[in-house]
Amino acid sequence: MSSEMTLRRSVGTAAATATSAGLAFAAIDYLGVVSILAYAPGTTAVFAIFIGALIVVLVSAIFSELNGLYPTAAGIRLYLGRAVGNRTALSVTFTYMTTVVLVIAADAFLIGAAVRHVLHEPSALAYVWIVVLLGLALAANLRGVRLAGWVQTIVTYTVLAGTSVLSIIAIFHVGGAFHQPFNLFGGGSFSGIQAIAFALFLYAAFEWVTTTAEEARRPQVITRALFIAPALIWFVSTLFALALAHLVPYGVLHGSATPQLLLGTRALGTVGEMWMLALTVLTALNTFNGGFLVASRFMYAAARENNLPRPFAKLNNNAVPWVAVTSLTIISGIVAALVFATGQWLMLVSVGAAIECAIYAVGSFCVVRLRTRVTSERPFRMVFARPLASFGVVLFSALFLATAFADPKNSRHFSAVPFLVIAVLGVVSTLYVALVVPRLQRAASARTAQRRPTRRPPRPGASPEVAQNDPAAEERP
Amino acid sequence: MADWTELDEALADYTDSCNNNERLRKMQRDWSRVLHFICSDNDVRFSMHVDRGEILSTPVGLDGVPDIVVTTTSETFCDMFWGDLNPVQKYLRGEITVKGSQEDVMRLDAISYVIWPDS
Repeated sequence: MSSEMTLRRSVGTAAATATSAGLAFAAIDYLGVVSILAYAPGTTAVFAIFIGALIVVLVSAIFSELNGLYPTAAGIRLYLGRAVGNRTALSVTFTYMTTVVLVIAADAFLIGAAVRHVLHEPSALAYVWIVVLLGLALAANLRGVRLAGWVQTIVTYTVLAGTSVLSIIAIFHVGGAFHQPFNLFGGGSFSGIQAIAFALFLYAAFEWVTTTAEEARRPQVITRALFIAPALIWFVSTLFALALAHLVPYGVLHGSATPQLLLGTRALGTVGEMWMLALTVLTALNTFNGGFLVASRFMYAAARENNLPRPFAKLNNNAVPWVAVTSLTIISGIVAALVFATGQWLMLVSVGAAIECAIYAVGSFCVVRLRTRVTSERPFRMVFARPLASFGVVLFSALFLATAFADPKNSRHFSAVPFLVIAVLGVVSTLYVALVVPRLQRAASARTAQRRPTRRPPRPGASPEVAQNDPAAEERP
Repeated sequence: MADWTELDEALADYTDSCNNNERLRKMQRDWSRVLHFICSDNDVRFSMHVDRGEILSTPVGLDGVPDIVVTTTSETFCDMFWGDLNPVQKYLRGEITVKGSQEDVMRLDAISYVIWPDS
């Protein structure tokens, strides 16, 4: 067997599935279910979540094909670069990475709000909890503390199983009632589409498992994870939505940042509340571990590639890019504080859902484009790739518009705020790539021209002048 | 295309630079790994044994069970070990492929960055 197949530590299907599900199932997913309930009331939400799961099968196929082509943590840069050019790829990737900041900020806010709620503290103390949580995450990251793979796997399956069990208890709890079954388009056809778009958000970020492709035992491991993890999330989210619809009136959920605690309390009293608080805190382990790792390493690589200022590549004595990690923490803290001050936590769901739909549309486009441009063998090939991926471009673009103009609290209102937030992020990314990156690249070229001569000795017979004055040794054929 | 003699010379210099860099040794104090390197343009394969940040040996052939497998051309390996190229740029262009954890991939690049910050 070749050495590529026998890494000492490699990731199998169960661990990859846990990584995928753990990245997707964050504390904000509990709020995501509330957003679906706003558009698909009562048990109707279950149908939206199911249709969302069917659409995610298409997303799984798209990312399986792209991951098979470029099985690397840098995959998104590579397939976007090949499909739409390097500059656009960089703009899209920068925008995409802002979802990581949103999820970290959302989890910091939601866990702070949950702890404050359980301890019956004044609401302003949520700020303190946000700072404490992010401070702990920062300290752990700067010291290079990582969750071991098996711990991450146990945490993920505990969160999924714990949420399912409490939801089942709530569903069979006496005193609740199911309302409005089989009525997905009761609020109008557009509300049904928006409900499905919000349902997609429950699965958001599951595709980030492709960044672990280099650790996978076989390419098929990531493909299996991409199909199994959404099934797990569908199962758990369905139970949670049913339980909420059964026990907690929407009027109560509407103004709450902690629907899972409300459900826990109604199902099992204080025990249920503490149960759901524990699960909420556990989700943070995955978010703060995986989110910080993905985003800070992306920033490090971008700085090393001269696409971000060089300080972002600075390493501390634990080999951690400390400027990147610290910046990420500060930005997440500011976003979390802003969300808390404005009370617009459901806006994070809208923005996150819309960005994910946009990324799925871009991914679909890449599959269409790369079927023509790249003919190399793929471990996974979509059936009917061109028509299905083309359909994906249209579908996810429509769903992007549906969420980008949705008011997540009220299905009868439109709101341009999510679209404006995304537009600002996109414009800032594009301007940065168009105006700042060329300057950074020029500065890097100037440094290269001034740097020491190449260290590699000339090959016998080669001209010494050429070898010693070659400023772009990396381009040597 | 570089042969094993050239690669061996580059590896000797790389080993010397790594092992004599105090900051790198401190940074990599908890990093013990077996690395395999595969040249995609010839049959040369070699290994590297790292113990708590110290490169112990760089034998020819694939020795031991690897934590990381790096594949690229022999020329790129030579330039990389002499500190004449930025490995991240090659990696992000898909010209260097790596099997291993994200953390190990970053640590591997960090070695080059700490020894040759201007690469």
